[in-house]
Amino acid sequence: MPISFKSLSYIYNKGMPYAHKALDDINLDIKEGVITAIIGETGSGKSTLVEHLNALLLPDEGSLEILDYNIVAGQKQKFLKPLRKDVGLVFQFSEYQLFEETVLKDVAFGPLNFGVFPDEALKMAAEALKLVNIDESYFDVSPLELSGGQKRRVAIAGIIACDPKIIVLDEPTAGLDPHGSKEIIDLFISLNKRLHKTIIIVSHDNEMVYNYCDETVVLSHGKIRYHGSTFELFSNKELLKEYNLLEPQIVTFRNLLQDNGFKLSDEARTLDSITEEIGRQLK
Amino acid sequence: MSLIEIKDVYYAYNEQNKAIDGVSFDIKQGDYVTIIGHNGSGKSTLAKLIAGLLPVKSGSITVGGLEVNEDNIAAIRTRLGIVFQNPDNQFIGSTVKDDIAFGLENRQIPSEQMEGIIREYSEKVGLSDYLEYEPQNLSGGQKQRVAIAGILAMKPDILIFDEATSMLDPKGKKEIKKLMYDLAAGDDITIISITHDIEEVLQSDDCVVLNKGKLFMHDKPEKVFADAEKLRKIDLDVPFVEQIREAFAKRKIKLKNDDLKGMVEQLCRYRSNH
Repeated sequence: MPISFKSLSYIYNKGMPYAHKALDDINLDIKEGVITAIIGETGSGKSTLVEHLNALLLPDEGSLEILDYNIVAGQKQKFLKPLRKDVGLVFQFSEYQLFEETVLKDVAFGPLNFGVFPDEALKMAAEALKLVNIDESYFDVSPLELSGGQKRRVAIAGIIACDPKIIVLDEPTAGLDPHGSKEIIDLFISLNKRLHKTIIIVSHDNEMVYNYCDETVVLSHGKIRYHGSTFELFSNKELLKEYNLLEPQIVTFRNLLQDNGFKLSDEARTLDSITEEIGRQLK
Repeated sequence: MSLIEIKDVYYAYNEQNKAIDGVSFDIKQGDYVTIIGHNGSGKSTLAKLIAGLLPVKSGSITVGGLEVNEDNIAAIRTRLGIVFQNPDNQFIGSTVKDDIAFGLENRQIPSEQMEGIIREYSEKVGLSDYLEYEPQNLSGGQKQRVAIAGILAMKPDILIFDEATSMLDPKGKKEIKKLMYDLAAGDDITIISITHDIEEVLQSDDCVVLNKGKLFMHDKPEKVFADAEKLRKIDLDVPFVEQIREAFAKRKIKLKNDDLKGMVEQLCRYRSNH
């Protein structure tokens, strides 16, 4: 069952002189079980789009089908709580929202809020923290004492603890150092591969999108410009130019090699597989 | 004498951890110096010590021959400006113009001079058409440029950028890096930039690598990046061309360090020689 936007539009400041159509007749089916990236320039509507996924924003026109829920413009929604449990949204700079006295309590807040008994909520929190690789010795520490990367993993654990089926991450690696970014990337890959969660990532980091996301959606001025294979998008020079996207370094390298007469199959997408194929040709 | 002299500086936020642990190096007038290191390595602490936002526990920092301490800080601050990470946290005025004017008002610049100064520096950062804009209608990169214009209007000769591009989108990052490069082009302005961006490090004159509060390396950027093993040891990213060199070395194909095009040319030569 895909996540299905049907002729969905959203208008900020509706009816005001400043009214602005942030999403304009969106038709989009996002697959379950894969990692999908949403990219596009600042102000293109990426965050507005993902905030519809757990009904933080409700459509002004059209509808959204997600899991067993159907959100239709103009209709009163009765299932917001279970929807928000099933679709976890990790905001940009989510670590700013940590507020509890201890790491464990902060992560347990989500399950408690969804009506889980305190003992069980703490158990779920501990499991989520284990999953994001936060050691038990940090459980009783104030979240403020952690590093930037650790804080963000704690914030993500708060969402994971509610056991959502779909996890949406808005700019999950922004502002982190390379090591912190790698930890977050490893985390969402493992959530996808091991726990089969559907992952949706909003990002400006084309290198990360190219390396780790199966599908990509390109938004521009509130409209879908592209939806399909990440590799096909980034290996197509015309599309990159048309959508004003920076070419990932590995693609630049691939293209240079091909321009110089080296043969590369479509499977050679990573540095390792490219080196492997070139190595064979040089033997 | 160097413009900034850092001598055996220590700083600790608490008793267990020394945030800066015996760091010494100099920065010459007009240099563009990048400081790298993973989170918690002491980069931001060091920048705050130079700016006098934190007091050194021992050792000394001098800026233009003046020791950074309570007596001299007012004099030092007149020549030093800081751009922080989050563009939303440093917008004070209700419009671009008001924001640039804020610092000038603090310095009691007569209002008839202000218009000219605001025009000059908004032009310098490429925002002269945006003077009446409100912050919420600006992109992250534009907000950072407003912050930079406000600082430049104070005519500092030392600029500190504390991860000023890390929260921006690729376009914003590019804008600010270009502006930093242009500002650094003359001999007048000295830039100290804390960053994770390898591309930015490569456009600087000098690179300081910090690890656990200690000076780990201090050299030209290309020299720093030539030692990939050393960088990996402290969890830092390795430039892409270096990753290529290593990947081929594993398959017994030896390449020299070069730019991407040069690497491909080497592979072509290798092909015709075998």
